[in-house]
Amino acid sequence: MAEFPVLTEEEFRRLCEYLYRRSGMIFTEAKRYYVERRVHERMSATASKSFTGYFARLRINAQNESEHFVNALTVNETYFYREDHQLKCLSTDILGERIRNKRKGGMIRIWSVPCSTGEEPFSVAMWLLENWPLVDEYEIEIVGSDIDTKALEQANEGIFGKRALMRLSPYLIGKYFSAMPGERWSILDDLRHSVHFSRVNIVEPNETRIQGHFDVIFCRNVLIYFDDASRRIAAENLYENLLPGGFICLGHTESMSRISPLFEVRRFADAIVYQRPGESD
Amino acid sequence: MGVQKTILVVDDASLVRLYYRSTLEPAGYRVEEALNGIEALERLPIMAVDLLIVDVNMPQMDGFTFLSKLRANESTLASIPALITSTESGERDFEAARAAGANFYLVKPVEPEMLLEFAAMLCGVPQ
Repeated sequence: MAEFPVLTEEEFRRLCEYLYRRSGMIFTEAKRYYVERRVHERMSATASKSFTGYFARLRINAQNESEHFVNALTVNETYFYREDHQLKCLSTDILGERIRNKRKGGMIRIWSVPCSTGEEPFSVAMWLLENWPLVDEYEIEIVGSDIDTKALEQANEGIFGKRALMRLSPYLIGKYFSAMPGERWSILDDLRHSVHFSRVNIVEPNETRIQGHFDVIFCRNVLIYFDDASRRIAAENLYENLLPGGFICLGHTESMSRISPLFEVRRFADAIVYQRPGESD
Repeated sequence: MGVQKTILVVDDASLVRLYYRSTLEPAGYRVEEALNGIEALERLPIMAVDLLIVDVNMPQMDGFTFLSKLRANESTLASIPALITSTESGERDFEAARAAGANFYLVKPVEPEMLLEFAAMLCGVPQ
């Protein structure tokens, strides 16, 4: 077991600078304990004896360490039907606007980014099945993306613990999951196959661009981890990923108006969301 | 329902298959699935199906081609009732469905009550 590292100020600064360049995430002294714990975990996992040794390994990305470290740092706490007022807004207002200029049977693309272990994109699918009567009339494509490849692997598996399901009614759990031993639940195959997962770093335009254009983007509680510069880059990238007239939903404590002037604020009964100006296709 | 009836849903969209399944199963039907016409043709000889619910636009083999092929079959499979579901509502589409051998044509979105009504009728379930 590696010793719990206490990083010098200089080491901590260099690590944060590296992380920032690699992922756009910003960590300050206030997060030192949190970062050190993750360094400790990764040092143990890689049998590194000193921070200097570990940091060298990280920078040359030995055995993909850079990815492992970012995975360890990203927060993956989420659950089904989190902030469901936005899902309500999706089925009552947003989709109605989006289909106004679409042909019947046309494509509706929804992006959950970051999607962590899949709770959000699967929630979108379930919500639409339960609450949007036109669900079979349009071709709905739901994409879930995250920077954390381990989280994506889990999302693809579609197995969840009790915590993830805490906000779902027994009716919904019975309808869309099958119980497994050890208080775990496996999501129905059809639901699992209704979401496509991909690895994306939202501050990298090359990575966001290839995801194509979306009608609605859920990007909740990630921009808060970024500094102003990365936040703006991410917002601009997401803007490019929206169809004209497309919508973006942020976490309830976040405001796009403070980040980028590109979007228009739309106040619906259930949520405040942001819209890329312009005519829908 | 006396003897449980089996319905094969042929649709490429997993959300749509799930939507129909979650409407039909609570009403007592057994639901099987196929992703397109080719898969449906492969699976039909090895399962006893009372009704087909068939989407039109599917990759590899669309619903009309599938139905025509099925109706041309020399076994009893050829007479399984089929319900077409489609987003198109033009006279031509109805005609094409009839020509392919569809028993009924429902325009999407298909409301759960409607789906159950037609399923019961075509499966011969007393309502």
